[in-house]
This record gives sequence, structure tokens and C-alpha cells, in this order.
Amino acid sequence: MSFSALTALVAAEPTVAPPSGFWGVLANWANAFIDTFKIGGENFVGLVTGIIPTLIVLLTAVNALIRWIGPDRIDRVGEMAARPGLQYYPVRYLVLPVLSVFILTNPMAYTMGRFLPERYKPAFYDSAVSYVHPITGIFPHANGGELFVYLGIAAGIQTLGLPLGDLALRYLLVGMVVIFIRGVLTEIITARMMARRSAGDAANAEAVA
Amino acid sequence: METINKTLVTIGRSVGGVVGVLYQAGRDTIDMVIRNILPFMAFISVIVGIIKKTGVGDKLAHLIEPAAGSLPGLLLISVFCAIPVLSPLLGPGAVIAQIVGVLLGERIGAGNIQPQYALPALFAINPQVGCDFIPVGLALGEAEPETVEIGVPAVLFSRLVTGPLSVVIAYLASFGLYSS
Repeated sequence: MSFSALTALVAAEPTVAPPSGFWGVLANWANAFIDTFKIGGENFVGLVTGIIPTLIVLLTAVNALIRWIGPDRIDRVGEMAARPGLQYYPVRYLVLPVLSVFILTNPMAYTMGRFLPERYKPAFYDSAVSYVHPITGIFPHANGGELFVYLGIAAGIQTLGLPLGDLALRYLLVGMVVIFIRGVLTEIITARMMARRSAGDAANAEAVA
Repeated sequence: METINKTLVTIGRSVGGVVGVLYQAGRDTIDMVIRNILPFMAFISVIVGIIKKTGVGDKLAHLIEPAAGSLPGLLLISVFCAIPVLSPLLGPGAVIAQIVGVLLGERIGAGNIQPQYALPALFAINPQVGCDFIPVGLALGEAEPETVEIGVPAVLFSRLVTGPLSVVIAYLASFGLYSS
């Protein structure tokens, strides 16, 4: 082969035929397979760089605050919430769940139910557990493992370039209204079911006697 | 000399206390990020990769899009999630709610769903919150077994009412949100 032919060979643009046939199909699958995880990886990096830094600083500040306050301070609220009477409903299904979710976080918040009489416990649980997502808009420390209920939807708002504060605040406040209603309604249902149960027991006892 | 010593000790102690608390808080935070937050982000990223590449996400999203973009649709979603048999199945780890949240967020970002529906949607996808956890949650509150027996159905039935109700409240509260 002469020198000129060699240079011509080198100069020619190397072209690669797109994979075809059986191996081509496999190669395309391989590309799609890798692409899937590339897209996932880009998404992951976006989440890590976009959310984690602010989150870490915020979580540290709130965790420090909670340590200063001391988690046992809310025990007194728990005792107050156990009292019967109409004026203690907001304490039981609003103040106590919000405070326990904020300070004790999910799932330890539910331990505050120990201060309440049995008939209030299901309602308190219902009320407290319903607040573990509305609170994450502003205080993500309360439920670090389940942030994406809010963050997923918030991401869409962010894509549109709209501010998130309004949504986070309304989520927090509407959450308070909802947990109060939930607490009251579940208490009523629990009371009805307990009454029916004890009536049934009494009837059974009579039947045995 | 005595007083100066005392002041120095007091200052040193309080500064040490503050720094110690902050340091411990930072440690707790990093622990939480590594244990709870990063794993979920990894999980969500895999799901996002798959639904974006395969187009399943678009089909799924088109399925929920008409429902999520109107009040009756959102009520329908909330009733579905609150059905007493389904709600404990949909509950664990709020995984379903989080995936649906991510899907809806993408639709809102793409402009297919009005942004003011974000608030009612947050409640519509979540009437099942904690329904899988009622016995454990009640046990944490030191409830008697009889209370658990009654508490589980009581909470589940209550959700059937309060689930859709929360959507209506959120809808009313969303007036003036992201609308000109």
C-alpha cells in the first residue's frame, strides 16, 4: 500500500453504521437501559444539590432548638389535654398533636397518647398522624422520611417559577383545621363504638346469667 | 480573682453547652439525611428514571390528570384512598402518596394542571395517612388491646368522611393561591 493511499484512508471520516439486526436490537435495549438510570441519576443529583444543603442547615437549627426546649416540657400539655370539657378539645386535637409532631417527630409523637384516657387515644392518634405531612412544608425535621408528598408537588410549583412560601403556609394551616375536625369526629365514632361494645357485653352477661 | 474565675467558668460552660447542643443537632441531622432522606431520594430517582424513559409516567399521569385538575376529580381520588379496605394498603411509608405527589408535581410543572390545585391535591392524595400504622401508633400511646380493637375501625371510618372534607376545606383555602 502506497503512502498516499494510507493518508487517504486516515483522512476519510470514519463512519459507524447504526447497529442493526439481532445485535442491533440488543444494543438499543442496552442504550435504553443505561439511559433510564442516567435520567434517574440526573434526577438524584438535582434532588441532592437542590434540597439537601438547605435541609441540613434547617434540620440542624430546629434539632438544636428542640434540644434546648427539652422534649419533656410538653408532658404538661399532655396532662391538660386529658381533661374532659369542651374547652379542652382544641388542646387535645390541635395544640397537643401539633406540639408533639413538632418536638417528638414521627413516630415518637404518638407516645403522647399515654396521657389520655382510653376513649381519646384513637382520636389523638388520628389527629397527630394526619399532621406529619402538612408540617413538612416548613418544618421538614418532623418527618424526614416522607418529604415527597409535599416536595413532589412543590417541585412542580417551583418549575413554574412561583414562590413556595404561600403553599407551605396554607398547607400548615389547613392541616391544623383538618386534624382538629378529624380528632373530634373520630372521638365521636370511638365513643359510639365503645358504647355499643359495652351494651353488647352487658347483654351477653345477662344471657349467661 | 474569685469572681473573675466564676464568670469565666460560667461563660465557658454555657458556650460549651451551646456548641455541644448544636454539634449533637448536626449529628442527628446527618444521621437522618443518611438514614431516611437520601435512601428515599434514591428510590424516587429510580422510579422517575423508569417512568420517564418508558413513558409509563405519561400514561399514568394522563390517567390522573383529568381527576387532579378539578374539585370533583380530587374528591373522587380522596374517597378512593379513604376506602377502609384500601387505606391500610396504600398507607405504608406514605410511598404511594409520595409517588403520586411527584407525578402530579411534574404535571403541574408542565402546565397541565393549574397550580392552585396544588393545595387540595396535597390532601386528596393523602386521606390514608397512617392507616397502616394504627395498632402500632396506639401501642406507642400505651393503649389497651380493647382500645386498639375499636380504634382501628373508628379511624378508618372517620377517614371516609374527613378525607373528602379535607379536600373541600383545602379547595376553599386555595382561593387566591397562584392566581392572578
